[in-house]
Amino acid sequence: MPNLKEIKRRIQSVKNTQQITKAMKLVAASKLRKAQHAILEARPYAIKMMDVLNHLSARCNSDLHPLLDVREGNKHLFLLITSDKGLCGGFNGSLIRKMSQHLKDNPQNENSLIVAGKKGNDIFRNRPVTVTEEIIGWTKDFDYLKAQAIGENLSTLFTEKKVDKIFMIYNEFKSVMQQEVVVEQLLPVVPENLTHKEDTFAVDYIYEPDEESILDDLLKRYMTVEVYRAFLESSASEHGARMTAMDSASRNAGEMIDGLTLTYNKARQAYITKELIEIVNGAEALKG
Amino acid sequence: MSQKLILSIVTPEKQLVAEEVDQVNAPGSEGDLGILYDHAPILTNLRSGQLSYEKDGETIALVVSGGYLEVSENRVTVLAETGEFLHEIDRERAERAHAEAEKLLLTDLSEEEFVEAQKKLFRAIARLENLSNN
Repeated sequence: MPNLKEIKRRIQSVKNTQQITKAMKLVAASKLRKAQHAILEARPYAIKMMDVLNHLSARCNSDLHPLLDVREGNKHLFLLITSDKGLCGGFNGSLIRKMSQHLKDNPQNENSLIVAGKKGNDIFRNRPVTVTEEIIGWTKDFDYLKAQAIGENLSTLFTEKKVDKIFMIYNEFKSVMQQEVVVEQLLPVVPENLTHKEDTFAVDYIYEPDEESILDDLLKRYMTVEVYRAFLESSASEHGARMTAMDSASRNAGEMIDGLTLTYNKARQAYITKELIEIVNGAEALKG
Repeated sequence: MSQKLILSIVTPEKQLVAEEVDQVNAPGSEGDLGILYDHAPILTNLRSGQLSYEKDGETIALVVSGGYLEVSENRVTVLAETGEFLHEIDRERAERAHAEAEKLLLTDLSEEEFVEAQKKLFRAIARLENLSNN
């Protein structure tokens, strides 16, 4: 017969865990609201900026600016954005899987990584791949200025021809329940609407002050905005993933408690029955 | 009145305006621009100042600083660094920012810091000027 005390102890322990997961879910939910607000507000700007940049770079020669320079080289750099903390379901796992798969599929390239987030660094530190930079603790206070620093750093690596292509790998925020790992080419900037190139060429654009300085300015800002957006997406996704994970953890704990309580009650009943029998038997024996 | 411009004003923080309007007046880096229907395509930098648009005879003004303005096929896109509706500006805060920026400019600054502080001052001046005009 299961030990009553033992079961009671286990119920208590599961209850404690449930309390923690419930609290974490609430915290994640409130952080998510903030992060979700930030990303939803930042998106239109990033999209409009991309539009303007697309228009402009489609009309310009690609040798007009070093950040548009398409090179044949195979030195690829990846900016991998993971989280600092765990307990957020498959959030980091799917990122790392995607990254590893990519590295395995393209062994001919000279791959290097910049890994943001403690979780990603823990993994890739021990793998046979060059990690050129570790960005740890970004989830605490990420702002526009930090994005700018990262963007500038990446631009320099690219213009100095240390790398030929730069990609970002991060979780895109689809909805609270859903995140999607995306791989996005950051540099060189490839205009999307190249097909319309000839039509748009016909239009005489007015540039004030002039084409080059606007392009230069725009590209610099584009880097910051894209990096900023990727981190915001990632942050919102992380809280969403954590909330969902903690929600199901709380539910699982609840089910476990129900099961254990049932076992406990059965055991208690059996115990009482046994005692009753003993008493009755004792009484019978005295009578006899 | 089917000849309308589609105006959208966005900042990194949020989308401020997405509307059909009749006219847009913007502070271009090389001079103020008035944009009407069928304007030639243009891409320009913006300086700090007042941007206004007219819609059904009503004029709505914002103070923007920095960024770009693109006009193409009667779509006006404004990518501003910051933007505030005139009626939302808090005079006290603007004055404080103005004083802070002025004080900052008097201290020892690196070139980048100087440019930042200067921008801040221009922004503050633009805010205050537009407040006193209205």
